[in-house]
Amino acid sequence: MKFMKPAVYSGLIKPNRKRTLFSSISAWILILPSLILLYMIVWQPMILGTKYSFYKMQGYTPQHFVGLNNYVRVIQDTQFLRTLGNTFSYVFWSLVIGFIPPVLFAIITNELIHLSKFIKTSIYMPCIIPTIAVTMIWFYMYYPNEGGLLNMLLSAFGVAPQPWLQDASKVIPLIIITMTWHHFGSTTITYIACLQGVNQELYEAAIIDGAGILKRVRFITMPQIMPIILLNLVRQIIGIFQVFEMPFVMTGGGPNNASLSLALQSYRYAFVFGNTESALALSCITFIILLVITAFYFRLEKKLDRDV
Amino acid sequence: MKFDRKKTGIISVIELKSWRVKALYMVLLVFMIIVALTCLLPPLWVMLSSFKTTAEFSQIPARLFPEHIDLSKIARVWKKTNFLRAYGATFIMILGDLAFTLVINGLAGYVLSRLKPKGSMLVFTVILWTMMVPNTMGMVPLYMTFVNLSMINTYLPMWLMAGANAFYILLFKGFFDSISISYIEAARIDGCSDAGIFARIIVPMSKPVIVTVSIFTINSAWGNFFWPYMVLKKNELAPVGLKIYQLQTQAIISIDEYMMSLMFVIIPAVLVFLIFQKYIMEGFTLGGIKG
Repeated sequence: MKFMKPAVYSGLIKPNRKRTLFSSISAWILILPSLILLYMIVWQPMILGTKYSFYKMQGYTPQHFVGLNNYVRVIQDTQFLRTLGNTFSYVFWSLVIGFIPPVLFAIITNELIHLSKFIKTSIYMPCIIPTIAVTMIWFYMYYPNEGGLLNMLLSAFGVAPQPWLQDASKVIPLIIITMTWHHFGSTTITYIACLQGVNQELYEAAIIDGAGILKRVRFITMPQIMPIILLNLVRQIIGIFQVFEMPFVMTGGGPNNASLSLALQSYRYAFVFGNTESALALSCITFIILLVITAFYFRLEKKLDRDV
Repeated sequence: MKFDRKKTGIISVIELKSWRVKALYMVLLVFMIIVALTCLLPPLWVMLSSFKTTAEFSQIPARLFPEHIDLSKIARVWKKTNFLRAYGATFIMILGDLAFTLVINGLAGYVLSRLKPKGSMLVFTVILWTMMVPNTMGMVPLYMTFVNLSMINTYLPMWLMAGANAFYILLFKGFFDSISISYIEAARIDGCSDAGIFARIIVPMSKPVIVTVSIFTINSAWGNFFWPYMVLKKNELAPVGLKIYQLQTQAIISIDEYMMSLMFVIIPAVLVFLIFQKYIMEGFTLGGIKG
């Protein structure tokens, strides 16, 4: 019986046409600023950057279409293979130095009942120091004379001062150590949050079954945090592949281009050599490599979504 | 040592009665204390070095502690480096960042979570992609945009970038999803508009997510270096992140004075962290923010 329905009912659960139209217009107005900004800051640069990488540029104005010329020039650049190799070297060292410790620290910290608050706070502290300040602190810790903290510590053991960042074979691992120091805390805290969700009864059952401590870590703890470990792995690869700010400030790509990454080289093309089209082409190449990794990330995430 | 409080984790209280497990626990504890000290040592070294004289900094053999601590040096370096102006500039940048981050991303999250106009699912998917796809192309075209819109030497580029944060949109959406629909229906019956519901119902109920996003925004704005470096060509506009870079490259102060300037950047960040620690740690359960 139609007239028995409360008046508001028809207006809310089954909105009439006029109401829907009006409310969707007002909703679109509310989200419009966000869409404009996302377009301006994220999408438009991506579209324009890709488009202009096929153009001859005069400063920041496109001149005419040149096909793949810019790409050929970038790839034939004597520094290209070096830069690509360096970037992979950054990723390699970040996995060697920075990937396992957060997992280990999280598992241990989660066991501690003494000083655990102090430990968590201290571990997280480097994350809140601005990146530029962290870079500068470590720049002076790696200072080649005895004023630098590391050389000071070495001299206490009678070791001669090391050149640190000026040593081409060590510069990338040293930058990675700085980045690891800066970021491992937040990763550790995420793992700890995840560990706290592990059902305590599982451990109790394992103890009754006679599983030792290492066996419990292997068969209970690790499977629980494995999905997050895998996601962090891909995220870290993607993040480090775009490494820019720390080498830019710490070494400027030196010594002798030993720490030059793809992103830094792209910056130098555009803002040091005034060669915009090469910068765009190189960014595009970086993007394509990362797209492959991201595609892998999506597949991994989908698979995990199914599993959980 | 007492272990009564230990209720969770891999090692159980009963096992801790055996001396071997106790020894293992102690080794792990000492190990983590060393890790914690590794985190504290570098900033502490900067602090100690800042009180050294220039000669002391490079003397052989080097020493960790300064001869004596001269507190008046703080005021001297503060004046010499003109850090007050950098603090002021950073303050303006932070206020703008906060306004853009909270209002624009918050409203977008609200629309996607509650209003859901026709086609919003598509927008949601696009935003999800925006967050996932690595943005390597940004630098040059963005700089071109800012030049074309004559935004050089203003804080607008940083503000606009703060307003375009796909991750915060999703964080807000996730939080708003958890607010019961009946509040919104009640307000609508009372004749409240969509924007009115947002301002009077949603915002007051969303204090946790607003505080968390604000703290992370303040933290990232405080040390923002690269884009200020690109767009702020006048020295007096420099926020602290840029200032500390300029001081190093222009080499107008000695190394110990530079260490003290570093403290001017580090200490406010650490203070904010210690005060709002609870909210920052909550941020991880709220959405796993990467600091």
